[in-house]
Amino acid sequence: MAEQNDDLEALMRLSLAGDQRAYATLLRETTRLLRPFLSRRLRFSNEVDDLLQEILLSIHKARHTYDGKRPYKPWAYAIAKFRLLDYLRAHYSDQLRHAVDFDDLEENLHEPVTETGMSYESISGEVQKLPEKQALILQMMHQEGYTAKEVAEKIGMNESAVKVAAHRAYKVLRERLER
Amino acid sequence: MDNIEQLIDTLSKDAQAVKPAPHPFKLCLLWIAGGTVYLAAALALTGLRPDWAESFRNPLFVAEIIMLLGLFIVTALSASLLAFPDLHQKQRIAYAPLGQALLFLGVLILAWRADTPAAPLPEHSIECTASILLTMLLPAVWTLYSMRKFASTHSRVAGSVALLSAFSVGALWLRLHEVNDSILHVVEWHYVPAFGIGVLGLWLGKVLLKW
Repeated sequence: MAEQNDDLEALMRLSLAGDQRAYATLLRETTRLLRPFLSRRLRFSNEVDDLLQEILLSIHKARHTYDGKRPYKPWAYAIAKFRLLDYLRAHYSDQLRHAVDFDDLEENLHEPVTETGMSYESISGEVQKLPEKQALILQMMHQEGYTAKEVAEKIGMNESAVKVAAHRAYKVLRERLER
Repeated sequence: MDNIEQLIDTLSKDAQAVKPAPHPFKLCLLWIAGGTVYLAAALALTGLRPDWAESFRNPLFVAEIIMLLGLFIVTALSASLLAFPDLHQKQRIAYAPLGQALLFLGVLILAWRADTPAAPLPEHSIECTASILLTMLLPAVWTLYSMRKFASTHSRVAGSVALLSAFSVGALWLRLHEVNDSILHVVEWHYVPAFGIGVLGLWLGKVLLKW
């Protein structure tokens, strides 16, 4: 174990000196180290992969804060833990934002829940009257079936911004349709 | 997995030799030296309190100044460690400002109890807080700007400690400049605002030290 630690520190020292092969090996070793740590804390393997990539990017960005004279693992784990907490915070706040309000649910209980009675096509006229970006987002999400994340990637916005724009569009549509 | 391999490939190809960040102790010494020069310059411009020789014969005043100096040094040290992801593996030192703040509180309590009969309150009030805030502006900007070059994983605490470090420079300047012996006034208008500054630092740290 001590030998492996020495290796990691030595690899990092070489990486800081510009050795690209050492750096690639170090990043692979770091991935191998961190995968079980993340797998124990996240439910889906795609989440683990996404977060691992983010952590590797962070390690790359922060590598100048490691001097090769102190143990490598606590440094790498500190970054991993920081990104994991960030991810969990964003994930749960996103879930809270999309949580169903019990009052809304109660109001709608008497309505048929398996069928909305309204399709995208039936309100597409109203959708087209929305600002261009909001209309495009609704069209992509409800007519073409993309997720918010996919829409974000396609139109070069971030996912939260897409969700906020969609939410605003729903609000405007609801007000117009209730009139 | 393929994505990760691809990323590793891209990152390693992008990896040039990197100059490691300075040791936090070196960074902290730089901040302390800068803060001291700034404090000396501020005092040279505005003048030492005329009764300074007499004030320095009061052990509680001396203790208060030493505590403030201690707070400045300890918060600068803590901020320099908090700028690193792993606190440079010196967690205990990073949280030392808590102990220093307790000692400072103890000295203030002693000074308060010794203030009998109470010294007359000065006519001004919020002007003191405003002066401290103005004085701390430059050291605060410098410290936060320097910290942005690193990678804090405790950005809120780091921001708070950095602002408190700058605040202690401002507080030191005012204590050495203003003729004022009312401990009530000093606590209310010099030191209580530090709590607000600490809270502001939590927010500023979150915003400015993001990476």
